[in-house]
Amino acid sequence: MTDAAFSALASLADPSLLIMLAIGVVAGLVIGLIPGLGGTGAVAILLPVTFGMEPEAALAMLIGALAVVHTSDTVAAVLLGAPGSASASVTMLDGYSMARKGQAKRALSLAFLSSMAGGLIGALGLTIAIPLARPMVLSFGSPELFMLTILGVSLAAVLSRGNVVKGLTAGLLGLLLGLVGTSPTTAEERFSFGSLFLSDGMSLVAVALGVFGLAEIASRVGQRRITEKPVELSGGWGAGIREWLTHWSQVIRGALIGIWAGVLPGVGATAGTWLAYGQAVATAKDKRKFGKGDPRGIVGPESANNSVEAGDLIPTFLFGIPGGVPSAMLLGMLLTYGIQPGPAIVTEHLDLMYLIVWAFAIASVAGAFFCFLLTGQLARLTKVPFAVLGPGLLVIMLLGAFQEGGQLGDLWIMVALGVVGFFLKATGMPRAPMLIGFVLAIPMERYYYLTANLYDGFGWMTRPGVMIFAAVLIVPILWSLLKKLRRTAGQVDDGHRDEHDEPDTSAGDELEGSFAGTRWSLGVAVTAVVVFAGALWLSSSFSDEAQLMPRLVAIGGLVMAGLLVAQELRSRPRRPRGADPVPMDDALSGSSGSSTMVATRSRTEPAVEPATRRRDLVIAARTFGAMAVFLVLVGLVGYVAATLVFVPVFLMYAAWTRPRTAIVYTLVLAAMLLALPSLLPVDLPMGVLQ
Amino acid sequence: MTLYTDEVDATTPDDPTPPEDGSATATDAGPPRARTAAAVVAGFTALAVGVTAFGGGLLDPPASTTDGDYAGETVEMMIPLAEGGGTDTWARFVAAELTGAVPGQPGLAPVNDDGGEGIVGTNHFMTSARPDGTEWLVSTASTVVPYLLEMDAVRYDFTELRPILANGTGAVVYARTAAGVDGVADLVDRDRPLVFGGIAATSLDLTTLLAFDLLGADVESTFGFEGRGPVNLALQRGEVDIDYQTTSSYGPAVQPLVDDGTAVPLFSLGQVDEDGEIVRDPNFPKVPTVVEVYEELNGELPPADALETYTAILALTYTFQKALWVPEDTPDEALELVRDEAEQLSVDPSFEESAAEVLGGYPLDAAPDLPERIGAAYQVDAEVREDVLELLERDYDITID
Repeated sequence: MTDAAFSALASLADPSLLIMLAIGVVAGLVIGLIPGLGGTGAVAILLPVTFGMEPEAALAMLIGALAVVHTSDTVAAVLLGAPGSASASVTMLDGYSMARKGQAKRALSLAFLSSMAGGLIGALGLTIAIPLARPMVLSFGSPELFMLTILGVSLAAVLSRGNVVKGLTAGLLGLLLGLVGTSPTTAEERFSFGSLFLSDGMSLVAVALGVFGLAEIASRVGQRRITEKPVELSGGWGAGIREWLTHWSQVIRGALIGIWAGVLPGVGATAGTWLAYGQAVATAKDKRKFGKGDPRGIVGPESANNSVEAGDLIPTFLFGIPGGVPSAMLLGMLLTYGIQPGPAIVTEHLDLMYLIVWAFAIASVAGAFFCFLLTGQLARLTKVPFAVLGPGLLVIMLLGAFQEGGQLGDLWIMVALGVVGFFLKATGMPRAPMLIGFVLAIPMERYYYLTANLYDGFGWMTRPGVMIFAAVLIVPILWSLLKKLRRTAGQVDDGHRDEHDEPDTSAGDELEGSFAGTRWSLGVAVTAVVVFAGALWLSSSFSDEAQLMPRLVAIGGLVMAGLLVAQELRSRPRRPRGADPVPMDDALSGSSGSSTMVATRSRTEPAVEPATRRRDLVIAARTFGAMAVFLVLVGLVGYVAATLVFVPVFLMYAAWTRPRTAIVYTLVLAAMLLALPSLLPVDLPMGVLQ
Repeated sequence: MTLYTDEVDATTPDDPTPPEDGSATATDAGPPRARTAAAVVAGFTALAVGVTAFGGGLLDPPASTTDGDYAGETVEMMIPLAEGGGTDTWARFVAAELTGAVPGQPGLAPVNDDGGEGIVGTNHFMTSARPDGTEWLVSTASTVVPYLLEMDAVRYDFTELRPILANGTGAVVYARTAAGVDGVADLVDRDRPLVFGGIAATSLDLTTLLAFDLLGADVESTFGFEGRGPVNLALQRGEVDIDYQTTSSYGPAVQPLVDDGTAVPLFSLGQVDEDGEIVRDPNFPKVPTVVEVYEELNGELPPADALETYTAILALTYTFQKALWVPEDTPDEALELVRDEAEQLSVDPSFEESAAEVLGGYPLDAAPDLPERIGAAYQVDAEVREDVLELLERDYDITID
């Protein structure tokens, strides 16, 4: 075995292989930067290039790209609050908060170094796990996989910022959203209202970028100048590395969880990053800072999301069951070389397996190192006012979302979800559980259904794996209840977050939770009740098998949303509201006025003025209106032409940039749009008039 | 990387203060003068109108494929499924080899449109593909079965398309020995039905379900699996008892189980030969077909109408499982050029060697009489369709509107 390992390493010393690896790494990094393209885009662009190559060269290139996509997709999540994948949304929780405090460079350094370590440990794990993978995968039956999906959603709901009722409501809303489309068990359509487009379910990228990215644009686009004072890290890279080293145990734990979760086909990759975050929170003594820029919230998950990729290769190669589209394409590539996945691959193609391991390790280090060197430059992005960044970002994100399904409808869904995301954000509802719920809804239903059908009665609940997961789920809840009881009995506050933990305004995010406790948050709670009730009513028309999961979700959602409404009603009278309204014209009259407002609001005034809220709403409404106009234009004249009109108008009338800036900006963006399709596997939406 | 730095540069090209001081001052001056702004917007609008009106024509001149070569053309191949699956791999590989062999060596642009399990992309091709030989469609079982069942969403008709080439596959049904199965005799008269793991009754599983129905096998189906790989794992875990795998995955996924005695191969779905008879799968010469098993169990041939239904579905979903198509109005010269190359490719020893795994041991079929044979297979009798719909409704509680 060691012979094969070293001969594989020696073959990587071949300059042509190293060049292929480098091409893969660069392509992976660039594609990862664009929210929405991700690993699928990386492999799709490189795959045609590999036809006709030697298998070693082709593998080096593809693995190089796959190993680093999750390194660079952190950039958009941390700097812009726009995660392109479900796992990047975890890093976003603390990374984006940190960046909003002016510590973008610190957040990125921690993330990149952790990615590097995660990739390295992942590669090591890949080597060790090969002989252990088979028994491990076989010991995870449908009941265990079902419990894992439950665990993923619950962890996200409990651990996200905000209170648990809000987290669970958001998680259940996400589950409901994920159920739209064809049922996995009976192949009937649910909540699709007869539309073939909806029968496929919504696109993950559209949901992720809508709920997070567009909501972010809408809430920050009113900002014409930067109000946050950047906090520079003294000592540059050295200090970054030193700080990161203090979290070494989190890095290792995160990576190990990532490998383990990646090995489980189907659900591992999404749940894994959350499990890593969950253990970071669970094992921390002082939990108050999580969600507000705690370095431990970045290090663990970021390390995990790279090692998940390595773990994911195990079921891909050993069982021919890929965990996602990128590994599916890798599998296809191997097939064209006559390499069959299966247990025999370890004996017949051991050299290739080691080549993969080494390529993965080298690519992780090179990619993360490259990004790490660029953190300073990347962090400067936070110094561009969002009003200026907004239109370009919008154009790129919508294009990214278009790639998954190639449907204009996805973009409309994305904008609609942007509105939802804006209100969730404004009323302090955590959005991460919604995304996780969305991703895990179908696997949860699938494995529940299979469990119920393949096992007699409730015997499956006594399986050791199921009991362990159940314990992981229940013990912390009991523990925190116990603590709460002790605390009310006069114990010291150990920093455990309680239910009414108000968002920390010093996190630099003015909007987050600023509508909490108003009629708006009551409105969101009531809307949730209506949505769940509607879903319950609609699901009665499905067949028995297909209505089980929607009913459970809707009933659970009704209970949670009902609790939320009660909570809102109870907390309302306590808040002084509308004491002295500021005239709205004043707030909208000029940029200097608005920036003072922002400064006042985030620094000295924790309770938000109604006028400021109104201003936020007006800006959001205008921004979403502008997005809708842009989509109408796209539908009529196509993407490039729509961009040519929309971007300069937005820049000059909303962001008040100079004409020269607007011209250069628009031309650069348009040129990029024209060049992209020939460089990347990107299609531009066409208009009906084209 | 370039992407974001571009934006930064674009916003601060003439910024007097370096951005390090924490404020990008480009916007401090208030809104730009109304007239200038309007002029800029008008300029860009004119450019946009130009792009819309002329851009398409300039970038996309009409194809010349009837002049004996495809020089300077790009073939756009519609793959109506997601990147990565077996069909995607097959299509990309075959089309890359084929475009490399066609005179003029056209470029290849695969487009994956995986809406509605393949229905959306195929519908789209049907309505919008240019009939000049530069647009190809990939078909596979997931688009063929809805066509066969005449589902509502289907707007395509394979009889209105012309095939370039076709490629088949086969499958073998096997069972877990621990479930008490040693041979085909254990399929019937059981105390406890065998649990079959499936994806959906209206997927490729359909053919296997028809085989079970033909044999009267005592099988209970649970659908909802993600793919055949997970079913194979579930069988190894003992969650399901009986499964089938197509030829390319049988070797790695099932053969080791057969070797160590945990599973036993029962029968192959068979292949349909030129005379419309079901014969043994050339890749599994020792495994009996469904028809042989029926004879062994019952001592007679299966009833003619049931056999006819099974044969029709088998031909559609296995023997001609994957195919490349062009629109009906494609000029003969353009199509013949490609089909002829495909035929030569199919007998080229170096192609046979490199394509062995992708083709799964079944030859590429691009003979001149392919349109007639494939046409016959895709022309499904109303009776056959009735039989299938009846089975789905009776045993699987599925009604197709």
